[in-house]
Amino acid sequence: MGLEDLADSLGQNVLTTTLGKVLGWGRGNSVWPAQFGLACCAIEMISTATAGVDIARFGSEAMRASPRQADLMIVSGRVSQKMAPILRTIYDQMPEPKWVISMGACASTGGVFNNYALLQGVDKVVPVDVYIPGCPPRPEDLLNALMILQERIKAQGIIAQ
Amino acid sequence: MSIEDLTGQGVTITPTGQSGAFGGELLTVNFGPHHPSTHGVLRLIVDLDGEQVKRVKPIIGYLHTGIEKQMEALRWQQGVVCTDRHDYLSPPINNLAYALAVERLLGVEVPPRAQALRVIMSELTRISSHLVWLGTSGIELGASSVLMYCFRERDTIMDMNEEISGFRMHTSYIRPGGVMADATPRFLDMLAKFVREMPRHVDEYEDLLTMNPIFRARTIGIGRLAPEVAKLVGASGPMIRGSGVAWDLRKVMPYSGYESYDFEVATHDGCDCYARYLVRIKEMREAVRILGQALDRLPDGPVNVDDRKMLPPPREELETSMEAVIHHFKLFTEGYSVPPGDVYVAVESGRGENGCYVSSDGTHKPRRVKFRSASFVNLQALERMALNHMVADLIAIIGTADTVLGDVDR
Amino acid sequence: MIAEELITDKGVSAGDEWITVPAPRLREALAALKEDGYRLLVFLTCVDHLADASKQWPARFELLYELRDMEKLRDLRVRAFVDGEPPEIHSVHDLFPPANWDERETYDMFGVVFNGHPELTRILMPDDWVGHPLRRDYPVGGEPVEFSEEHETWLTPPTEA
Repeated sequence: MGLEDLADSLGQNVLTTTLGKVLGWGRGNSVWPAQFGLACCAIEMISTATAGVDIARFGSEAMRASPRQADLMIVSGRVSQKMAPILRTIYDQMPEPKWVISMGACASTGGVFNNYALLQGVDKVVPVDVYIPGCPPRPEDLLNALMILQERIKAQGIIAQ
Repeated sequence: MSIEDLTGQGVTITPTGQSGAFGGELLTVNFGPHHPSTHGVLRLIVDLDGEQVKRVKPIIGYLHTGIEKQMEALRWQQGVVCTDRHDYLSPPINNLAYALAVERLLGVEVPPRAQALRVIMSELTRISSHLVWLGTSGIELGASSVLMYCFRERDTIMDMNEEISGFRMHTSYIRPGGVMADATPRFLDMLAKFVREMPRHVDEYEDLLTMNPIFRARTIGIGRLAPEVAKLVGASGPMIRGSGVAWDLRKVMPYSGYESYDFEVATHDGCDCYARYLVRIKEMREAVRILGQALDRLPDGPVNVDDRKMLPPPREELETSMEAVIHHFKLFTEGYSVPPGDVYVAVESGRGENGCYVSSDGTHKPRRVKFRSASFVNLQALERMALNHMVADLIAIIGTADTVLGDVDR
Repeated sequence: MIAEELITDKGVSAGDEWITVPAPRLREALAALKEDGYRLLVFLTCVDHLADASKQWPARFELLYELRDMEKLRDLRVRAFVDGEPPEIHSVHDLFPPANWDERETYDMFGVVFNGHPELTRILMPDDWVGHPLRRDYPVGGEPVEFSEEHETWLTPPTEA
């Protein structure tokens, strides 16, 4: 019942850390994607959300339909000329902090289609954090990209972006 | 008065001039291209009288990829890669349409083992496409467990795709001249296991949905498409078979050996969303039947046409034969040429009649490749099916049309 | 029965039957074929024969109408050749409803104007797009790819890269 016993019991029940680490832990482990499934990669994105691969284990439980309630935009699929302004509008509607994963070859660089109709890479309109190659990438690739992003978010600290 | 489009798309939306109940105005709502339930980037301008839909105007083009232009810039054998990607839920079936068209222009016929493997891949893809439809339609109507069940089986099919071609989705397996590679013994084992177990899984989906009162209330009587209207607007696939018309290209205009398989055409007289659901469930069962038959009588033999001017020689020959090296070089630098002419081949995909029109001018690149897209034509029926339904039913109707926007926009 | 005088050419190409009709009398020909039983328009498209050396074409743009008789299970391809700037032909959307969007797409991609169409606007490209992409003199577009066979010199010479 002395001071040493008090310090002992507190030591086992109290963790000390920095504010940045707590914020990073909180933000990183609950990244909610905004659905931006465009084409074939969207089917693999849905596959990632289903039981075989299960992105919900990593915190992306809720794939929000509204960008205002999402942190992450996974651009999965090819972005055509008509869709590019809408992509930017949805990105602008997301609140800070926000991240973008460009999933697949078409979103990263235009993919198989080097022609007039597609944006040759979604990074021409939005800033991208992680690029995933593949046509389409495996669901596990998307999970890997999410984990890379999570490492980056956790390392970010208090100052976002 | 017209409403300017704020996203700068340049689309002008003019109200219909109709008035609603009690003399009120119609409300014009934009179901934007970014929407969780439109099965892709489809934009709808909907005029509502309260909750009732008075007019639906689809605006497409948000996924236009320029595939037809791209194929004019690629050689004949390279074009297969682009055919995978327009109807992205059934890549081998699109490959098949293109391959059959090129083969018909060249006047070659593939060996029987290749035809059987093509049928196997087509039917596997048909099942996988219907599974994606069922999963996403289920979750749009609120039945979220159906998604998990369906994608579990789809994962099995993707594993089989990977075993036979190395790719999960865009296999490019079926090519002009035959198929990419022979089936491995492991693939045949996986297929046998799948054929044994799939009927039980289809029973599971039916347990979840067929007698479910909520599902029935949301789909029976919704989205009526009378048979005469279906024939008039050129609908195909489950859209027309759900209205009682037994039109299946595999039966009426068979290709790739389908005439030798014993299967029924799934039809239902209901003409509504529920009828189309039953048609697709039955199609999955019939596809499993075809797979079983194809597996049982898979003939032995080569899987490619034996024409060195069209297909590269096996790599072992390159070490010993000079001719093989020359063929290999010519094929991979210039590619083969197809005699001038044009042809249209239609195949039955999960959505309906997907066809490939190829026009050749005798060079090593196509002059024009046009894809007749079942979703493009089926989507035009949306305006007629959705009239006077509620907004929530509109989601069910878009789901039942099973449009793939990649196919609509190409 | 379609009048014999309307058929200026016919043949069989790789198993497909086709006939050519003069473009000003296309509606007449298609209406006669529809009465004959060819009640379904499978697709309608256009082929641009600019710089096609394989044979002598009557005009630059070849419009194709694939008709099907669902009872007798036979297909027929109807060709009509048009020229001009812009090339014009009558719309057949009232005879065959599937032609509605097909004609809009052909207008969008080739610039062929269909007289009598209720709403001939662009369908696949953005509304303010200039040019008709599938014409042969329209470039494929996209980004130039280094080390490809399309050009002989460096695009980013070594001293600048």
